[in-house]
Amino acid sequence: MSERPQHPQHLVVVGHGMAAVRLVELLVGGGWIEQGHALTVIGEEPGPAYNRILLSAVLEGTHDASSTVLRDESWYVDRGVALRTGVRVAEIDREAGEVVLVDRSRVAYDRLVLATGSVPSLPPIRGMVRPEGTLHERVHAFRSASDCRGLVAALADRRTPVRRAVVVGGGLLGLQVARALGARTGHGAVVTEVVEGAEHVLSRQLDRNGAGILARDLARLGTTVYTGARAVRLVASPQPEHAVGVRLDNGHVLATDLVVLTAGGRPSTALARRAGLDVRRGVVVDDALTTTDPRIHAIGDCAQHAGKVSGFVGPAWDQAAALAGRLLGDPTPYAGVREVARLRATGLDVAVLGDPEAATAAAGEVVEMTNPITRSHRKLVVRDGRVVAAALVGDLSRVGLLTQYVERGTVLGPHEPGDLLLPEKRTGSTGPADLPDDTEVCACAGVSAGAVRACGSLDDVRATTRATTGCGGCSGTVRALLAARTPVGALGG
Amino acid sequence: MTTTHCPYCSLQCGMTLTRSGGPRGPLEVGAWESFPVNEGALCRKGWTAAGLRGHRERLTTPLVRETLPDGTRGELRPASWDEALDLVADRLRDLRAAHGPDAVAVFGAGGLTNEKGYQLGKFARVALGTSQIDYNGRWCMSSAASAGLRALGVDRGLPFPLADVERTDVLVLAGSNLAETMPPAARHLDRLRARGGRVVVLDPRRTPTADRADLHLAPVPGTDLALALGVLHLVVAAGAVDEEYVAARTTGFDEVRRSVAAWWPERVERVTGVAADEVRALADLLVGTAGTGGRVMVLTARGVEQHSQGSDTVLAWINVALALGQPGRPGAGYGCLTGQGNGQGGREHGQKADQLPGYRMIDDPAARAHVAGVWGVDPASLPGKGRSAYELLEALGQPGVDGGPDGPRAMLVLGSNIVVSAPNATHVTRRLESLDLLVVADMVLSETAAIADVVLPVTQWSEETGTMTNLEGRVILRQAATRPPEGVRSDLEVIAGLAARLDAPGTFSTDPEEVFAELGRASAGGKADYSGLTYDRIRAEHGVFWPCPATPDDEPDHPGTPRLFADSFGHADGRARFLATEFRGAAEQPCDDYPLHLTTGRVLGQYQSGAQTRRIRDLPDDGPFVELHPMLARRLGTADGELLTVSTRRGSMRAPARVVETIRPDTVFVPFHWVGANRLTNDALDPASRMPEFKVCAAAVTA
Repeated sequence: MSERPQHPQHLVVVGHGMAAVRLVELLVGGGWIEQGHALTVIGEEPGPAYNRILLSAVLEGTHDASSTVLRDESWYVDRGVALRTGVRVAEIDREAGEVVLVDRSRVAYDRLVLATGSVPSLPPIRGMVRPEGTLHERVHAFRSASDCRGLVAALADRRTPVRRAVVVGGGLLGLQVARALGARTGHGAVVTEVVEGAEHVLSRQLDRNGAGILARDLARLGTTVYTGARAVRLVASPQPEHAVGVRLDNGHVLATDLVVLTAGGRPSTALARRAGLDVRRGVVVDDALTTTDPRIHAIGDCAQHAGKVSGFVGPAWDQAAALAGRLLGDPTPYAGVREVARLRATGLDVAVLGDPEAATAAAGEVVEMTNPITRSHRKLVVRDGRVVAAALVGDLSRVGLLTQYVERGTVLGPHEPGDLLLPEKRTGSTGPADLPDDTEVCACAGVSAGAVRACGSLDDVRATTRATTGCGGCSGTVRALLAARTPVGALGG
Repeated sequence: MTTTHCPYCSLQCGMTLTRSGGPRGPLEVGAWESFPVNEGALCRKGWTAAGLRGHRERLTTPLVRETLPDGTRGELRPASWDEALDLVADRLRDLRAAHGPDAVAVFGAGGLTNEKGYQLGKFARVALGTSQIDYNGRWCMSSAASAGLRALGVDRGLPFPLADVERTDVLVLAGSNLAETMPPAARHLDRLRARGGRVVVLDPRRTPTADRADLHLAPVPGTDLALALGVLHLVVAAGAVDEEYVAARTTGFDEVRRSVAAWWPERVERVTGVAADEVRALADLLVGTAGTGGRVMVLTARGVEQHSQGSDTVLAWINVALALGQPGRPGAGYGCLTGQGNGQGGREHGQKADQLPGYRMIDDPAARAHVAGVWGVDPASLPGKGRSAYELLEALGQPGVDGGPDGPRAMLVLGSNIVVSAPNATHVTRRLESLDLLVVADMVLSETAAIADVVLPVTQWSEETGTMTNLEGRVILRQAATRPPEGVRSDLEVIAGLAARLDAPGTFSTDPEEVFAELGRASAGGKADYSGLTYDRIRAEHGVFWPCPATPDDEPDHPGTPRLFADSFGHADGRARFLATEFRGAAEQPCDDYPLHLTTGRVLGQYQSGAQTRRIRDLPDDGPFVELHPMLARRLGTADGELLTVSTRRGSMRAPARVVETIRPDTVFVPFHWVGANRLTNDALDPASRMPEFKVCAAAVTA
């Protein structure tokens, strides 16, 4: 489907997360409603759409919870978009062209977009889930705004003080949550331990060298990391002052007041699977972001494009933009994008552009520098003169420039990747007394150091050269030059 | 000795001119210490401004292009004033008769005095009856003007005196290099810092202005809007919004608040190339200052305004200032640093395609009735809205697009050197050459005059009197210090001469003071009300800030308005508007063929198209150069001083490399005072202001 639809269409979006909101914004901005089409958004979470990226910042206290809201309900109303939140879609009736909600009511669609996101994968920890199916009161998932609210409330509850926390998962989200707990403003910091099953933290993004630098930073910040260890059971606390214990597969028990699960998520595909669409890890889509049913599209975390599912907002938004363009009549296919993983965690400097490990494996040339003394690790993976992936730990200088190079596929010179590993140079200033005579000291009037040295006083400088009579920026230099002037008599002798 | 003002930028530094010898003897520039804006300071452009007097390239006789026997265009030859003006009037009359009044266009300038700009607008509407008038200020001020008008209800560059800069606590300069473009203004930065205030500069280059800053952020050209959105995001996140102010003095915040939720620092970093921590540092500075009762001032300039989203970027910075509760407080708020000498006044009195004197809109029936009354014509006879500057040039000599009206076949140009200063200049020059008649009034044979059919030699600044409105909205008086050379006429005389030949209704005075009085009456009741101003008052008070309405005879004079917004904004309800913006990015993004960002700007020793400054012996004229970072130079295999070719989809130029560490490695810079830079620039327009995207396009550089 590449042409602008001729007849009024009812587009139904299942999901109300970041990909869905982006799609709706672009469709509304592109005239979808004005062209006579209809748009309905069905979100499972109650309340307004919010920026999920910022939940750890809300936990840390740097972001006000209300500042994460992306669009108020009134925004949809004002633009003629039907929004239903707190409602789950139970199934898709493809034959009828309807979605069936849990209350068995039906919503007819001409086109359907699945933007169902992902569901947190819960690690197999015995005792974590209570018989009725809910999490143990000391255990929190960290995926939704409601999870975040629950965690913040638990931390603020004076009856059950939280002094220690265990974060299960040492990926991006795990480290963000760990640092947020450790750096919480306003409520007192929490001593935090991280349990990671892989051999090092950020195992999807970093190699051993990079992770080694990061581990030192974490230790310096007071966060202990247990790598190569899995949490297997929730037990009684070995210490009476803490609420529970987390037993690791090596037998060690961590006493804690709180457990946060950040062990990642998997695409939410149940609806699509039940509807008979092709689903592998995610809902399979082609370059038009269309599933195996030409009337159904999928974008964001739930979608699998070119064999990949993402979990990052960048690709989700790009997919939303490509699909919106298509629905509005622009047939540019979605070509896939590079991921930029940027840890936003106080005190930890990590940026991962693209997929350095996969790029290295795919015969990329690696230019890297690890300096344990300055605690920095910089690794660029270069192919055909282009930086295709990069990992920066501890030293984010030039991160902005590198991101531009990676995203735009800029072809660099042979020396450039090496130059980019070095910290930025700042030209040191020379003292005025050492300035060569032909150096311009006053740009406003175009006056050289020599011309100033030839004058006897500031008034003389002003009258004969007009230095200092413009922006005034050279006044200090001119005074210093005059002060350092060799007294005329001294040359005599 | 005569007190007057510098002929160049919007700072309009006060200066004295002293004549030695006879009535046309040489002039010497001196300091006018008591004029408050510059207190006697001048940059080298000001000190040498008298250098064009008696210059061998000064035009002193009209020139008319010969037609060769085979009908092709020949050379320009000297002609008498009567011959030249008769010729122009006859051709204009014929074209109008054959093709209607819109077949004739007028192109004005932000360097013209208020009197000339006003008279030119009146001439277009009354003598020519054309809607096709606009001016080069469209390429300078229009984005800030459009945003200021929409958000604050008034467009006055600075709503406070420039010296208020010294009273703020944090000054954010978004896209301004004032230390080079208006050097005496930098004194205020130094005094601010001496007081303990902080200065932030946003610029892809570490300019001399950035060297004076406490914090310098260097965004990728074309991403300034994203940076502003990211700053507001952090202000909202920190709970630092001045909710009381927002509730009492503004509307529209809720949508803006939501619209920035998606601009967290790491996303801003990805888009702008500015590290997330630097974005945080800027926001922390603003939040920490405003949150403790301190003052924040944001000033924008061409660096963020000359973009296809320039007006959105200004709106976004106004949103930051409003959210922090700053506009209207003394020593705080938002302002724009105007560019051209009369960039402010030039946009207030009818040179703009959509405006009438007093900053009135031409489609407002009440405004038409008032102005037509002053002009002594029927309101219905006034044309409507015309094309904006670039669209006007684009239409010259062209058949109508999509059944629209044909483009103009003749154009009068005053005070503008379009061949050098228009974007996509090769294309625009071809349009100029396609005209049946191009008339240029200038003091030298500029690149644009050189392709004209008729060139009219006019007076320069030291030879004429008239008012300018500086970047503060202060109306000041330039006074003639000497007599023009024989054979030279003022723009007012040119306009009057043509109006008479065209049998225009109403009067076209050649006396600036009379024209100013008429301008005052025409502006009365408008947003930019000059009706209470006289030359005597301006002289006595070192300039007067508009609005300054006339008062009845038995009441004291209106004092003028140095500071706006203390109690009320310019909208009918008195409230400022928060307006949400959506980041789109530059119209042209780098690609494999054109992998670099190109940005353009000024150097200290030259001004605008250089028609004046390039001819002044004491100013350095080293020609254009290509500024680039050492890493990029190494990639290209070039070194400082070696010739480079810069090309874009629209054209190319050659200039020597200037290798500096003060520019982003993904960006090159070329100054625009010479033919070349604007052959490269993009003509994508801001949809609201019609500002072309001078400040960024995709370029390739080869050694």
